[in-house]
Amino acid sequence: MAQNTYIGASTRSKEAPRHVTGRGRYADDMVLPRMLHACILRSPYGHARIGAVNAGEATQLSGVVGVIIPDDVKRRSRPFKPGRYAAGLRVPIPEYASAVDKVRYVGEPVAMVAAETRAKAEDALELIEIDYEPLSAVTDTHAAADPSAALIYEELGSNVAWQGQVSYGDVEQAFAGADRVVRENLKIHRYSSTPLEPFAIIAEHTPERLNIWCNSQAPEVVYEAVTEALGIDNVRVIVPDIGGGFGQKIHLIRKYAVLTALMAVKTGRPVKWIEDRSEHMMAGGHSCDQEFDVEMAVKSDGEVLGVIIRDTDDVGGSISTLTIHFTNKLNNLFNTYKVQHLRLEGRSVLTNKCPVVPNRGIGKPGMCFIWERMMDRIAQELGLDQIEVRRKNLIGADQFPYTTPNGNIHGSGDYQELLNRAIKNIDYDEVRKRQAQSRDTNRLIGISVVIGVEPGGRNAARDMAIFPESKQMPGAGGVEGATVKLEKNGSVAFTLGSPSCGQGHETTAAQIIADVLGVAPERISITGTFDSALSPWGVSSSNSGNNFHLYDVGAVHGAATRLREKVLTLAAHLLQTDKASLTIENGIVGRVPRSGSAEDDSITFAQLGKIAYGNQALLPDGFEPGLEQTYYHSHPHANPLMIPDAHGRVRAQYTFSSAAHAAVVEVDTETGRVRVLRYVIVSDNGTLINPSVVDGQIYGSAAHGISVALGEGFVYGADGQLLTLTLLDYGKSTTLETPHVEIEHYPIPDPFTTLGQKAAGEGAAIPSPAAIAGAVEDALTPFGVKVRHLPLSPERVWRLIHESKT
Amino acid sequence: MKLPVNLSVNGQAYEEEAEPRTLLVHFLRERLGLTGTHVGCVVGECGACSVMVDGALVKSCLMLAVQAHGCEVTTVEGLAQRGKLHPIQEAFVHNFAMQCGFCTPGFLMASHALLERTPNPTEEQIRQDLSSNLCMCTGYVQIVEAVKEAASRLGEWRKTHT
Ligand code: FES
Ligand code: FES
Repeated sequence: MAQNTYIGASTRSKEAPRHVTGRGRYADDMVLPRMLHACILRSPYGHARIGAVNAGEATQLSGVVGVIIPDDVKRRSRPFKPGRYAAGLRVPIPEYASAVDKVRYVGEPVAMVAAETRAKAEDALELIEIDYEPLSAVTDTHAAADPSAALIYEELGSNVAWQGQVSYGDVEQAFAGADRVVRENLKIHRYSSTPLEPFAIIAEHTPERLNIWCNSQAPEVVYEAVTEALGIDNVRVIVPDIGGGFGQKIHLIRKYAVLTALMAVKTGRPVKWIEDRSEHMMAGGHSCDQEFDVEMAVKSDGEVLGVIIRDTDDVGGSISTLTIHFTNKLNNLFNTYKVQHLRLEGRSVLTNKCPVVPNRGIGKPGMCFIWERMMDRIAQELGLDQIEVRRKNLIGADQFPYTTPNGNIHGSGDYQELLNRAIKNIDYDEVRKRQAQSRDTNRLIGISVVIGVEPGGRNAARDMAIFPESKQMPGAGGVEGATVKLEKNGSVAFTLGSPSCGQGHETTAAQIIADVLGVAPERISITGTFDSALSPWGVSSSNSGNNFHLYDVGAVHGAATRLREKVLTLAAHLLQTDKASLTIENGIVGRVPRSGSAEDDSITFAQLGKIAYGNQALLPDGFEPGLEQTYYHSHPHANPLMIPDAHGRVRAQYTFSSAAHAAVVEVDTETGRVRVLRYVIVSDNGTLINPSVVDGQIYGSAAHGISVALGEGFVYGADGQLLTLTLLDYGKSTTLETPHVEIEHYPIPDPFTTLGQKAAGEGAAIPSPAAIAGAVEDALTPFGVKVRHLPLSPERVWRLIHESKT
Repeated sequence: MKLPVNLSVNGQAYEEEAEPRTLLVHFLRERLGLTGTHVGCVVGECGACSVMVDGALVKSCLMLAVQAHGCEVTTVEGLAQRGKLHPIQEAFVHNFAMQCGFCTPGFLMASHALLERTPNPTEEQIRQDLSSNLCMCTGYVQIVEAVKEAASRLGEWRKTHT
């Protein structure tokens, strides 16, 4: 490969020009001939039995073309197959695209209308009559787990839908040898990532196939759901620009893809369905409310010997993502620490709330919250310094590659140094001085320094670690493809196997191709967004799991490298020299040292393209015409432990970025309002391909985690009504509450990846809730307040202060 | 029932009609095909639908199409001129001030309105003003930097364009 010219530089964004001119192409921007507009009728109850449904009047309304009610769904579609997150179900439970017998959360889809205009469809929804028999709603895991609680799925006999555990090392032994056991109850609330563009689907049933345009992050989920539900093999899923995903657009979107497709089949016309904001808030998917009872066995010098965590996940009113938050904790189960003995017990409790889905960080913010809150608690109980307790337990820089007790391999890192730099950058001692001065005022200053990993590159077999008895493997390791093509005119086109939600994949991939092929990024362009009929996709082709850096980068690099070889073979033949004497620069293949005139010694990409696609006489013997290469990438170091062993050890993810976060907050003790004064991150994301793109991922994920800590989140009434239907009620931070995050990069290349790269996506959403919690607790030291639960909304903080006084 | 909506959008005159209940944002997107203006909430919270109406920044989901009768509207499609990016657009591209791009047209229009009023805003003023718009992807840092850069680019640009 030529030396890096573009890898490592913030080359101009490929995507931005279309977005700033309003020419992004999102699903809702598209119009098909004779297209209908669909709307969905949703449950007004948290829990109710569905009785008679009368859609007669709605069907009669002029402009209405199709109506789907629960009976249609039951008759004309098949339920979803239980996926990897439902593998723990005790009895099989069919789940259809809409509610069929009962509704189990407010907003659950019940019926769909398609009409000539969206307004007409909305009018018709009001004419559908449904006899609901309301049942009592359960919204709290403690009440839901009680044997007397109303059952959300009668078949299960209990609302505790799954229980299980993973255990590594000898936990009992570790506790027996401890000087002390530090205990705490911690909670993280329900929130979401609220992508600005809600779900959007267009379905068209032609004689050849079923076409679905949708903003799914994981097209495979939609592809399989539609194929299975409707029994149509020839499905094509096309994903245009996506207006943000963060995990929200992976799971529940399949319900709507099936309903919209069913409507397209039923009416014989293309159908568009666009979710609105309040629909997304109530039914687009939430993160779990998670409660942790934690015990840490420690020595008096702060060393953690063993850990027991009892995790209760409130999974809402669906059985399809029961263990999704639990198994994601396997990714960062030990965070950055070297303790060898840990047991994580889990139970998933059904409630009458929105089903749970991934979102920025899923499960891992909770796991990091446990670790970082406990580090502070241990320090307090032992009278030690909080940072020193962390240092005592960190994996040492000389221990990499480091294998965690549950099988993850951290390829590279220097956690002590991240802490050092964060402390320096935040002016730690200076803040402590200011803090002392603030103590006489009603604006208390607090500081916290935390650390966390950002796992990347998912192993598809991860979730089987908790189902050792299961024979059904949903896949293993990872597979992802890419195609790179030198066109006839010498320009370069590439196709990625996965969709993007705004992480700069076109830009980043073009930089890699530019360096491998020796051509400027301006001559390189993407062929289009994801299209299941054209994109080389595999199990890792989803905009999730922090997959891009491992799988797509590997695939693009592999395809470009193969193409380079082919280009050199053809050029060597034409220049009558051997490949080894050739270099490529700026799209010109040339001989070094030169032997004659430029014409004898070099050939351009355009000349090569013309010959490769048009002039058989000039091709070498046995040379396959064309200059196009596809490469499917799997992680070459996926073993050991790609498949879970009998002890539940598995490589959950394959790369581990890491970062230290330092937060300084000011708490107004009169109002409870928290302001973030400074927020510093020192981040190791391995080799940076485009530093500005990576910065953007860090800024964005930090902002989300901080907003979550400060108060964004869902609130339900006891009757199962969602009280936060708008972004305002939900409490999303704006430019005013979001701090100007300061980043220092401290990259240590990963020894096992293509370019030394590690993940950069959701990373800063993982430690940031813990950083804010720690800083608020630190500020409130004079009140002796302990921060155990998120969010830290003004009301919650005010209460903490006042409860401490009584 | 439909009412006339005669208006100018990005300098082009249209003679259209709309149902009284049609929102301006839907009219622009569906009737005129100007899909750069986005819908993120439809209740005035996110700013993705921001456009200029007679020189004022407006959330077009909070306005009926018929209210724009006789008005001059500028959408994101009207910023670039003669195929050349407007300095605000150029600053957004240069600073990586977007990820998914869904909020971008709204932020551009809001920044445009801000810089018309306050040609050299402080970071605080920028943050105050842009709190009308939500971005779920970027954490705002690069957007704020882009607006700062746009202010200085605009200074230069005005010298040559007026
Ligand atoms: S769509 Fe108009 S403000 Fe959100
Ligand atoms: S760039 Fe995605 S919402 Fe702002």
